[in-house]
Amino acid sequence: MTTVEPRVVPGAVTTFQVASPDLEAVVRDLADLRLADMFASGAEHTTLRLVWANDTAGQAGYVVTETPVDSGEYPALSDIAPAAFVEECEIYEQFGTRPAGGKPLNRMMLPPHASLPTLGRKPPAEPEEARAPHMVGGQAFEFPFGPVRQVGVESLYYGLVTSGEEVVDLYLFTWHKHRGLEWRLQGKTPEQALFLAERTEGLSAVAMTWALAAAAEAAAGVQPAKAAQRTRAVALELERLYNHAAAMAALCQSTGLSVGQSAAEIALERLLRLNASAFGHRYLFGVIGTGGASRAPDTDAIRDELPGAYSEFKRAADALLGTNSFVDRLEATGILTADQARDLGLVGPVARASGLTADARLVPGGPYGTQPAVATATAGDVLARFTVMLAEAAESVRLIGQFLDAGTAASTIELPRTAGTGLGWAESPRGEALAWVALGDDGRIARARLRPASARNWRGFDDACRSQNVFTDIPIIEASFWLTAAGMARLQGRRRMTLWFIRGIRRGVVTTRYPARPDASARFLPTPPAFRPRALTRVTADRLVASCPSGALRRDGGVLSYDVGRCTACGRCAAEAPAAVQSSGEFELAATARSVLIKRIPLREER
Amino acid sequence: MTAEELRETIARQFGRSLHIRTLDTGSCAVCEQEIRLLTAPHYDLHRLGFFFTPAPRHADLLLVTGPMIRAFEVAARKTYDAMPGPKVVVATGACALGGVYPADPFTHGTVDAVLPVDVWIPGCPPSPLALLHGLGVAVGRLAEKVRDLPFTADDHPERTRGDS
Repeated sequence: MTTVEPRVVPGAVTTFQVASPDLEAVVRDLADLRLADMFASGAEHTTLRLVWANDTAGQAGYVVTETPVDSGEYPALSDIAPAAFVEECEIYEQFGTRPAGGKPLNRMMLPPHASLPTLGRKPPAEPEEARAPHMVGGQAFEFPFGPVRQVGVESLYYGLVTSGEEVVDLYLFTWHKHRGLEWRLQGKTPEQALFLAERTEGLSAVAMTWALAAAAEAAAGVQPAKAAQRTRAVALELERLYNHAAAMAALCQSTGLSVGQSAAEIALERLLRLNASAFGHRYLFGVIGTGGASRAPDTDAIRDELPGAYSEFKRAADALLGTNSFVDRLEATGILTADQARDLGLVGPVARASGLTADARLVPGGPYGTQPAVATATAGDVLARFTVMLAEAAESVRLIGQFLDAGTAASTIELPRTAGTGLGWAESPRGEALAWVALGDDGRIARARLRPASARNWRGFDDACRSQNVFTDIPIIEASFWLTAAGMARLQGRRRMTLWFIRGIRRGVVTTRYPARPDASARFLPTPPAFRPRALTRVTADRLVASCPSGALRRDGGVLSYDVGRCTACGRCAAEAPAAVQSSGEFELAATARSVLIKRIPLREER
Repeated sequence: MTAEELRETIARQFGRSLHIRTLDTGSCAVCEQEIRLLTAPHYDLHRLGFFFTPAPRHADLLLVTGPMIRAFEVAARKTYDAMPGPKVVVATGACALGGVYPADPFTHGTVDAVLPVDVWIPGCPPSPLALLHGLGVAVGRLAEKVRDLPFTADDHPERTRGDS
């Protein structure tokens, strides 16, 4: 087998076959590209795939190398491309295949002594829990923290190595949240897979479903309509806006600035309500469909409400940048150098705040064209990440306006049931989200790889926390990464948080009167269906049952059993049989007995 | 229940401080975002007498999200056991109620497979308004539990509340 020298074609995914002995040389050759992902597939015959990205504007594109690794070993790549280490560990757990040289591998997804299904062969031995030596002058110790952490945050377990106050090292263990998503996607159709992809990382539901849908479209050779692509882009930019507002609120919380936190949360709540009135869901679930978008935005709602919501965001951001105690706390905290970010293959605002230009929106061929102005900074600290997010939010507002002007629409395409492979991407608020699928002859997923940006950026978290930082910096750094389990030029304004606070009190924000009075915002919430028994025949009921992704519907003879508890109010049943199903408008559903949530609807007898 | 009645119930039973501990057993992070917004100006949970606490020792109510990942079960039980009685467990969101993941080697599929759930809040995610309603329902459930407590006076061990 001869080696073809892989080259990036702008806007395209180019796939190359590389023999295992040549892999190391090819990886050295590609060192000027970013290693975006690495994964394996195939239980019997394992294939190793490396995804490389060119981030240069105008030349952006992807290269995928495919290498058969049946021998159970492949060249140790993390020695030359450090970004590969996490994936080397993951592939060992899932496929029992390891890098040559016998280097120790960390535990990633599989909890100790648990026997969970894997994607390929079981590893011959448990991972070794390898750790760097962490004795500093004989004084360092490890402080285990989690998995139950602060209130209202996700579960995460980390080992914090410290000499008392200084953070020497930090290890993450994520298996408390391992839901086996890639394992679950096997055998599903791409349409079904979107339901789980949406819930991989709910705060990037649009980006993750877009990436997966695009991968399936590439595999099936389908191209979404332009207007549907713009609908996707509007949803993606709305997702970016609310996430950056949430990150701002989290930064204020981590610095103990409750006035700023409230200001950011007002902007956040307004943006979420805008999502609900524009797309019918506060977190934009259900927007992306295969071959396009399942929902079109209410463009009037966006035009009416976005300027006000964004000015709320801007007001909070400006006040914060004018608050010296806040800016001082962010400056020089959690520094990541450009070299670190490049070596670890980081993405999104974290990478851009360290001077890199990675942005999946720049890949030609999508709805963005050459449009997005990519904000970067060079300091690599928390303040740099914050200012990059602020610049991105302004750009998102501009882009949304352009997409609305160009026209948006909902349209989907049923994918042909053919075999194929494809790579898809979208720039989530946290950075590039990638998905790769292999479809079988029946059009169902043989292997799906989901790589949200968080899967990439957590590996930069311990580097950012190390050395210069102390305990109390960790929550600030975490907020600036704004992951799930999710500025240098200081403004010389005279605004102070206290003045701003007094203005805020004068202006006033109306806190809901609920539960004493109804709340008007409730009418935009997605609510579970109400069924019209007169329109429900057994045939219709069976169609509804088949359309439900969460098992909330079941037919027992002449009765349709509906479990509100399982319902996600996704609207698939209403789309399937509009005459028989409508939205109930009810959100006061909490019950003190599980059985109360299950309703039994008698079906109409057919003649 | 009106806001006034709710406030009075909480004030009567818990001295105006019903404390909530949250627990993520494998959520997608969206339920957590909605829960965090409960203290935001638009909803202002404190006006109703609810507070969040990081310490399960101080908590009266456990607000649980996610499908109860098996690897998390020990941590979930420990959190629940660390809470003093009377306490209520609120299963929050479609994952916690069985709508997203089945019972399989990764997850239990529902929260009530592991913890004794008192209140179920549907929604994916439940909006802050739905959460407020659910918390109101939970207060009623907690009041029932308080009423049914068998109190024993320290100086009269033979006399328990309810005896005349």
